[in-house]
Amino acid sequence: MQDLLIIAVHGIGAGAIFALVGMSFNVVFNASGILNFAQGNLLVLGGLFALLTLPGEPSVTGWLVLLPIAAIVLAALVAIQGGITLLPLRSSVEQHSWLITTLAASVIISGVLMIYQGSAQPTVHSPFAGFRLMGMRVPASYALATLLAILWYVALYLFHTRMLTGLAMSAISQDLDAARAAGLRVRRLQILSFAISGLIVGSAGFVAAPVMAIASDSGISYVMNGFVAAVIGGIGSNLGALIGGFLVGVITSYAAFNYGGEFQDAVALALLVGVLMLRPQGLLGRPAARRV
Amino acid sequence: MARALARINLLRGADGAQALIGIVLVIASIVIPILAGSAYWTHNFLIVSLFVSVAVVQNLLLSDAGQVSFGQGAVFGIAAYTVGMVGTLWSQGFVIGALCGMAAAILLGLLFALPALRVQGYYLGFVTLSAAVVFPQMLVALNDYTNGINGIPVTVPGLSEQGQTGFTLIALLVIVLTSAALLFHAAFRATRAGRRMRVAAASPEAAMTLGIDPGRLRFLAFSIAAIGTGIAGLLYVPVLGFVSPYAFRVDLSIFFFFSVVIGGNGQLLGPLIGAWILYLVPNALLAGWSDYRLVGYGIVALLIMLVFPDGVVGSMMDRLRRFRARESVPLIAMDHLLNDPVTDLSPPASATSAIVVTGARKSFGQLAALGGVDLSVTAGHIHGLVGPNGSGKTTLLNAISGLAPLDSGVIRIDGTDATRFAAHRLAALGVGRTFQTPRIFDSMSIWENLMIGADAAPTHDPWLLRTLARDEESWSESRPDLLPHAQRRVLEIMRVIASDAPILLLDEPAAGLSPEERRDFARLMRFLRDRLGRTILIVEHDLDLVWRVADRISVLDAGLIVAEGPPDEIHDNPRVRALFTGTINA
Repeated sequence: MQDLLIIAVHGIGAGAIFALVGMSFNVVFNASGILNFAQGNLLVLGGLFALLTLPGEPSVTGWLVLLPIAAIVLAALVAIQGGITLLPLRSSVEQHSWLITTLAASVIISGVLMIYQGSAQPTVHSPFAGFRLMGMRVPASYALATLLAILWYVALYLFHTRMLTGLAMSAISQDLDAARAAGLRVRRLQILSFAISGLIVGSAGFVAAPVMAIASDSGISYVMNGFVAAVIGGIGSNLGALIGGFLVGVITSYAAFNYGGEFQDAVALALLVGVLMLRPQGLLGRPAARRV
Repeated sequence: MARALARINLLRGADGAQALIGIVLVIASIVIPILAGSAYWTHNFLIVSLFVSVAVVQNLLLSDAGQVSFGQGAVFGIAAYTVGMVGTLWSQGFVIGALCGMAAAILLGLLFALPALRVQGYYLGFVTLSAAVVFPQMLVALNDYTNGINGIPVTVPGLSEQGQTGFTLIALLVIVLTSAALLFHAAFRATRAGRRMRVAAASPEAAMTLGIDPGRLRFLAFSIAAIGTGIAGLLYVPVLGFVSPYAFRVDLSIFFFFSVVIGGNGQLLGPLIGAWILYLVPNALLAGWSDYRLVGYGIVALLIMLVFPDGVVGSMMDRLRRFRARESVPLIAMDHLLNDPVTDLSPPASATSAIVVTGARKSFGQLAALGGVDLSVTAGHIHGLVGPNGSGKTTLLNAISGLAPLDSGVIRIDGTDATRFAAHRLAALGVGRTFQTPRIFDSMSIWENLMIGADAAPTHDPWLLRTLARDEESWSESRPDLLPHAQRRVLEIMRVIASDAPILLLDEPAAGLSPEERRDFARLMRFLRDRLGRTILIVEHDLDLVWRVADRISVLDAGLIVAEGPPDEIHDNPRVRALFTGTINA
């Protein structure tokens, strides 16, 4: 019983991070057809921002002030990265260049993290004390990350259904040519989508910093788990990514608890292959129509 | 200088020429440091050359087969690690270790091919990327078998011992492997399988109508990649003398992929240039600042992608090609074919039905595209299928060619029930087709575009290619991307004729043709029927043309056949007149 609780708490906490990465994938993907491979390392950069700015014993006020700053800094960075990514794309998405440019951005961030940290694993302290749940100590960051994932889901939902800019972005995802013909400034909306994904990973990295590995090789693992979350839910669906994230989190933490932490990613891979073989459109995705 | 370069045959000879340049560069890069006595550069170039050979087969996988794999580093690593485990830890020696390593590499490579049958593009990329992330983790996790993070030292007696001149057996093997990989890729492209692989990657639908099973070719591509990558992995062990999980992290897989795209996706020389730039620039320039190597490597990759979106070699070839493009583009004329005395190709005429469709129904959601269609096409006839836009003509054609299965109903081809046949099996039954938008493959020469038609019927005599032999040279040197629209249509029709399919489904073949070209086209239709004995089902909006050439006409409206019969009869049918008010002047 106690074991199951540990698995659930850890799984939901980690799953919230995967869900946030998954949603940040979706935002960019819906507007541009691009999957930003750098998203995982950008999340880690959000954590690095917390590491650099938060003192050893941070105050709640300071934390609350720095959180939006982290989100905005990352949003600016990702917007620049998005602009660079979109630059060589002349018209279609049928090119390999974005695979390279986003992966290259990821490699560069990895390199920067490596220069900064060497091989030591620094830790970030949270201003919030953990709490006890049925006798088990739960780090506050897990609860905050979960809360953040749900908040971002609601915010994105409102953005895409209530706000004009959000509606325009949804229009791009449904029919790029029609959106362009209707006079939407597609390129600007796409860069905005990169910026929004930056807000998501920036805030997520900052909030989850105390329970995250801020290292040069952890980004790729977050990318992978976030992608698995998005695929399980159905690429493009934020509700899907939210549910998928928690599923991936709980299942992999079950595996890590029973067989060892090294098997966490292996189980995520097995999940990914399983979903793609059995239900490629995911839980909530629409099956893609094939054109002849 | 520029003129001399432009004279190099850029299409047919380009692959061979690039492969040869590549081989010269590989040999020079290893021989020169050995002669100069630089152990450091010899070692570096041996490793780069092994990476080049992996990138060469990855180039085949990515650009010829269209498969995005970020996991080739794991295939490379599993071959190397198996040598270490079987050879050193279990003391079986290098040879047995190498055999087991090859088996492991092929197994993993084919495991990648399994999801490729189901998903494509970045999905497949992520699956393979994840495998590359997990692979070194498993090496650490299974430390009872792999020696974990400590790695495995491997000594292979004989391979690394220097002779009088400083040459080693391993250096020779590396040169042979890399050269063989380059030559193989160039030669493979000129084979039937090589052409068909590129067609399947460019348009799986069109490929299937040419009798190609795209899944089988993907499997072949993954197998070739696994074998090439596996051998390179085996040789990596004696070059380094040591294997550790650290060497086979996901970064290695990304490096292989980068090399291909940075060099120029699809260019034979691309992987070599890409791997050299990405390996040597950060390592040589930042030799003293090892911490900055990763950043340097990322920046180099990013900058090259921005400056050369088609890769270094790709962008250069593109510029050369544009320089030549000002010269004339060949004309695809039908005259050679129509005026050629073709003998003995017409089968005995019989009044059997080539295509019989009964009760065909097909819905897209709420919309019934076909509401119970019956159609019978007599062998050796030209059968016109007309009707307003959205009446279900193309849907019916797609069903008959196997691209969109019916909800219910039966399709018989020459008496065989083909209702549930996939498109490539229907092609094997003798059904060929063209598309509304011609499926012409711009990365191949005009002549190769014709050859893939003949490739569909390898046992038949390629009489069409022989008839057109006088055009072979000029058509082999030009790509179809400069052809005007009408010429692309003609090329596609010529291709389906070359496939020797006795039944032809033509989807709006005259759209965009000039009046003169239409007259030629009508001649071609009659030629196909009368001289070659073909059965033709033609969907066309040019009613004049249909009425001139067709033996029988079916009129489709809102998913139902509303009239059927010889042209004269249909012409006077009041229901048909109502559909085409004012358009029939025949």
